[in-house]
Amino acid sequence: MRVNNILTNINFELLSNESGLNHEVKSFFASDLLSHVMGNAAEGSTLITVLNNINVLGVASLLDMSCVIFSHGVKVNDEIISKSNELGIPILRTKLNTVSTILILDKIGS
Amino acid sequence: MENYCKEFKIQKNDIGNAGTVASLTKRELKRRGLTKDFVKTVTIGIYEAEINVVIHSYGGTCVVSIDDEFVNVTFKDNGPGIECIDSALTPGFSTASHYAIENGFGAGMGLPNIKSVSDEMELTSSKEGTTLHMKFNISGDSYES
Repeated sequence: MRVNNILTNINFELLSNESGLNHEVKSFFASDLLSHVMGNAAEGSTLITVLNNINVLGVASLLDMSCVIFSHGVKVNDEIISKSNELGIPILRTKLNTVSTILILDKIGS
Repeated sequence: MENYCKEFKIQKNDIGNAGTVASLTKRELKRRGLTKDFVKTVTIGIYEAEINVVIHSYGGTCVVSIDDEFVNVTFKDNGPGIECIDSALTPGFSTASHYAIENGFGAGMGLPNIKSVSDEMELTSSKEGTTLHMKFNISGDSYES
């Protein structure tokens, strides 16, 4: 599955520009603690989180993650969006909670 | 390849810039042809330590040196020191502030993560400051084939 495929579902909106939409989503990782993400998330994975600060992109970049999805409709400021554009790691947002997000992503991927 | 040595300054509570040392070191390690896994290991260790200096200390420095055999990274801060190093090394133990937790840190996994990714780790601390040294061994397998 690629990031593009996720966007075909009505629940997800693209917040960043279109760079990186071709990234392969190799797996998913959900966490709101960056040390857990850093210690456990795999390269190419997509992060699902409600943690809306700039360090999320820093960690995503270090781990070469494919995409970041903000769940629960959290507010995402311009600084995060411009960092995402600079790094080429797309960010999406959904109003769904984290569990529902994962269930829908599983359906999209199958 | 030529030896690399760079010193960085880290400011207290400067969460927005935390990760700079990790990302610049990542670039250098990639340039030297080291594998993705090796680069990830080193950068996780550095990032965690950077965060620690930002959220727990009064600020400090980091020196990264790379030669053909090792990556050596030394963080030194200006206090206030770690009260109990054994507790600090226990996964889940945390003294992090509300500010750190709001920013996604302070889960008590920083030092345990650093210990697990590095080949050697040395941590000393007093009220005047904490020094963390981590060492990563470079072998033939560390390079992209």
